[in-house]
Amino acid sequence: MTDPSLIRNFCIVAHIDHGKSTLADRVLELTHAVSAREMREQFLDRMDLERERGITIKAAAVRIQHESAGNTYVLNLIDTPGHVDFTYEVSRSLAACEGAVLLVDAAQGIEAQTLANYHLIQEAGLTVIPVVNKVDLPAADPDTASKELAELVGQSPEDVIRVSAKTGLGVEDLLMAIIERIQPPAGDAHDPLRALIFDSAYDAYRGVITYLRVFDGTLRTRSKIRFMATRTEVECEEAGILAPGPTPVDALGPGEVGYLVTGMKDVRQAKVGDTITVAGKPGAREPLAGYREPKPMVWSGLYPAEGGDYPALRESLERLRLSDAALVFEPESSMALGFGFRCGFLGLLHMDIVKERLEREFDLELIATAPNVEFRIVKGDVVTTVHNPSEMPQPGTFDTVEEPYVLATVVTPSEYLGPVLDLCQARRGSMVDMKYLSPERAEVHYLLPLAEIIFDFFDQLKSRTRGYASLDYEHWGYEPSNLVRVDILLHGEPVDAFSAVVHKEKAYQYGKQMVERLRELIPRQLYDVAIQATIGSRIISRETVKAKRKDVLAKCYGGDITRKRKLLEKQKEGKARMRRVGRVDVPQEAFIAALRVDQRSGSGSSSR
Amino acid sequence: MTAGLYVHVPFCLTRCGYCDFNAYAGLGHLSNRYVRALAREAEMHAAEWADVRFVSVFFGGGTPTTLDPRELVDLVDRFRGAFGFDEPAEITVEANPDTVDVESLTALRRGGVNRLSMGAQSFDPAVLAALERVHQPSSVRRAFAASRAAGFDDVNVDLIFGANGESLDSWRRTLEETLALQPEHVSAYALTIEPATPLGRAVDAGRTPPPDPDAQADMFELACDLLGAAGYGHYEVSNWALPGRECRHNLGYWERRPYLGLGAGAHSWRDGRRWWNVRPPEQYLAALESATKPTGGDEVLDDDTLRLESVFLGLRTAAGVSATDVDAGRAAPFLEEGLLDERDGRLVLTERGLFLANDVVLALTD
Repeated sequence: MTDPSLIRNFCIVAHIDHGKSTLADRVLELTHAVSAREMREQFLDRMDLERERGITIKAAAVRIQHESAGNTYVLNLIDTPGHVDFTYEVSRSLAACEGAVLLVDAAQGIEAQTLANYHLIQEAGLTVIPVVNKVDLPAADPDTASKELAELVGQSPEDVIRVSAKTGLGVEDLLMAIIERIQPPAGDAHDPLRALIFDSAYDAYRGVITYLRVFDGTLRTRSKIRFMATRTEVECEEAGILAPGPTPVDALGPGEVGYLVTGMKDVRQAKVGDTITVAGKPGAREPLAGYREPKPMVWSGLYPAEGGDYPALRESLERLRLSDAALVFEPESSMALGFGFRCGFLGLLHMDIVKERLEREFDLELIATAPNVEFRIVKGDVVTTVHNPSEMPQPGTFDTVEEPYVLATVVTPSEYLGPVLDLCQARRGSMVDMKYLSPERAEVHYLLPLAEIIFDFFDQLKSRTRGYASLDYEHWGYEPSNLVRVDILLHGEPVDAFSAVVHKEKAYQYGKQMVERLRELIPRQLYDVAIQATIGSRIISRETVKAKRKDVLAKCYGGDITRKRKLLEKQKEGKARMRRVGRVDVPQEAFIAALRVDQRSGSGSSSR
Repeated sequence: MTAGLYVHVPFCLTRCGYCDFNAYAGLGHLSNRYVRALAREAEMHAAEWADVRFVSVFFGGGTPTTLDPRELVDLVDRFRGAFGFDEPAEITVEANPDTVDVESLTALRRGGVNRLSMGAQSFDPAVLAALERVHQPSSVRRAFAASRAAGFDDVNVDLIFGANGESLDSWRRTLEETLALQPEHVSAYALTIEPATPLGRAVDAGRTPPPDPDAQADMFELACDLLGAAGYGHYEVSNWALPGRECRHNLGYWERRPYLGLGAGAHSWRDGRRWWNVRPPEQYLAALESATKPTGGDEVLDDDTLRLESVFLGLRTAAGVSATDVDAGRAAPFLEEGLLDERDGRLVLTERGLFLANDVVLALTD
């Protein structure tokens, strides 16, 4: 166990691409926490996906030793996920620290995520060390960036540390500041154990690996422990520190950060934010504050492209859930897509990650319906939630519908303020406030329906500001909305996968766009096929796929018969792969293309 | 048992951009050897086909009329020596308008050839150019007159519709010009883009638009109307004939009677087995000149495939298929939609149905 007065627990938070992972790499190098041989870029990002996307998805921690004034300090760097989907996970990582390095790119200045992160740091009551990165870049303006940052965190520009994570310039100063400015952890080794889980991962060989920070008491190897929220009692098979690989220790004392192996097989038993104590009488009575259940915000139906893969998809989701406690799913069936699962995700990135892992790690080909939010249907005192637009009841059968809203923060160069405000207004936003960070840059806060955010809002924001604006948001709660369900009918049969819940004023636009799109995608059949968009029994848009008139092999003689028969057999296979909606054959590609268009096109009307 | 004899002549003066048949320009120097090889191949099959009576010979290509008429006549004589024939047998030669005159056609007619199939394709110079055909509409009229002068009373005119730039009016003129010649038989094919052809590559690369299926359907309807009104019976998807002038040889394919194919790439069919010769003329020659059969491959059809082929080939013709060969439930929607007709216990595609034959066949078979 380490003397708590020599421990400093900190994290680095930054807007995407401001250099967090590179700074972490330099810190590890400078303190020899990782040997030159083991060193690689983005050391803390363990998943392939993290490296490819340049973002941190999972939290991680590493223990560093640093000499100062004759003392050997233990610095625990707790890496945090860098995306709004994982705000809760970030908050638990922050809760495990006493201080935070708030990193800003000297050329970019403060961005939306910087503001959102600072907000979280403040809420967590952490000491802030403001740092400006990339000071060596030609485009860098460290003075302005330092001034902006100092103003944000209420410190003087001299307190801002200037570094180049790339070259290592200033990193030594930063390590000194961490030791000097951040409080050592409090806590008594003899109190009942209370340790905070800030992440858990699943290892195929060792089972669940829990990452934790001890607040009070001592976690001992071979002791019996209890996960307070899930009420799971297990033996602590191995406790250890991350230096940087897992290194077993006998005990972890107050302020220490490390890992725990219990032999558990399901990460849902070791939930982020839960408190670990010792089992039985000596256990703590009150858990650490701040735990909550993961709450899916975005839903999508996942269907195997090949109907026969349904059992494989179920098994894959079950296995994925062992390492992803936030993933929820329930079986559902679609007339158009067959059997699949309605899955709940923390957000769009989480959804993308799950889809990509299913396709990559489990080798599945998937069709995903357009993502939608959860709706609350209020009738008298009864509130029901709907995760699938096709389950939304018809108008007149309920009092109100509510949809989730977010408080969005956009930071933009002032010259693009107009287009940003236009976009937010067009997406049913209401402005909360607006202020200038500097004459050149403004910060706006809007209340927006989450449904509008998940429908290509970010792409639109980027394209309207030539990529300069940044976005972050936090969940706000549910508000009543004037929403209707738009159904798409093929030859009179509703295609459930295309049903959408949209704002009344945008229903016509959505219906028209889907109907026109489908007219392009649905192959001609032997009879005219009507494509209709409806609200209840009212048709709001209609197109017709005209009957096909030619499908014949013109020439067929002796030498050709084998070849022509094979063409016919091929055509037959293609037909067998089509999905049947009523009497209409729809190729799978048409479903995929229509669902994709629905997510990407700029109408901004879908909230599915 | 009756059968047809197909003879493939793979030589052409030029290659047309749409054609994916086993045909080659510039191999004319092989023709003497090729004719000898055909005769030898016939002898090789003589014993196996001794129990069969041939009712037709069809010289196809390629361009059979690139061969000397005496060579073609000599081959007919040799086939008569090698195989048993039901006389009078139908003996057809495909003719390219630019390769025939009264003299050559008279030689053929005197040598026993009694049917000509004239590759006219169109009477619109722009359409002929789009098809990369080198002849002019006037050559067709001249060659047709020559065939009559030579004594042919059974002549087919081959047409293609739907090439880039062809309008419905242009197609109407082509049909009217054809009817003015009063042929006994007309074949009219919707232009099909084959991937492995210069035209296929041009379409693939976007240099040429693909045929518009609706425009082709309009043209098909017009052909049905005009040819029908002129007294031609529509007896197969792409074939019309005056009564009694249906091509016996081609009917054999759709009725699935046996046929023996001679020549490079020619296919044969008998007793549920289909086999075919090697395609390159040089390989074909090499095999026969070393006294081996030039077989390139074969397939034995299983029951499902036999059923598929019989429905798919039968429905192409005016005879259709027996209603008992098809699941009535599957046929019902097509009868209702007017794509199928039921006549005397047989299911027959209507004219609209013929142009959608693939869909109907796929729905009627497993």
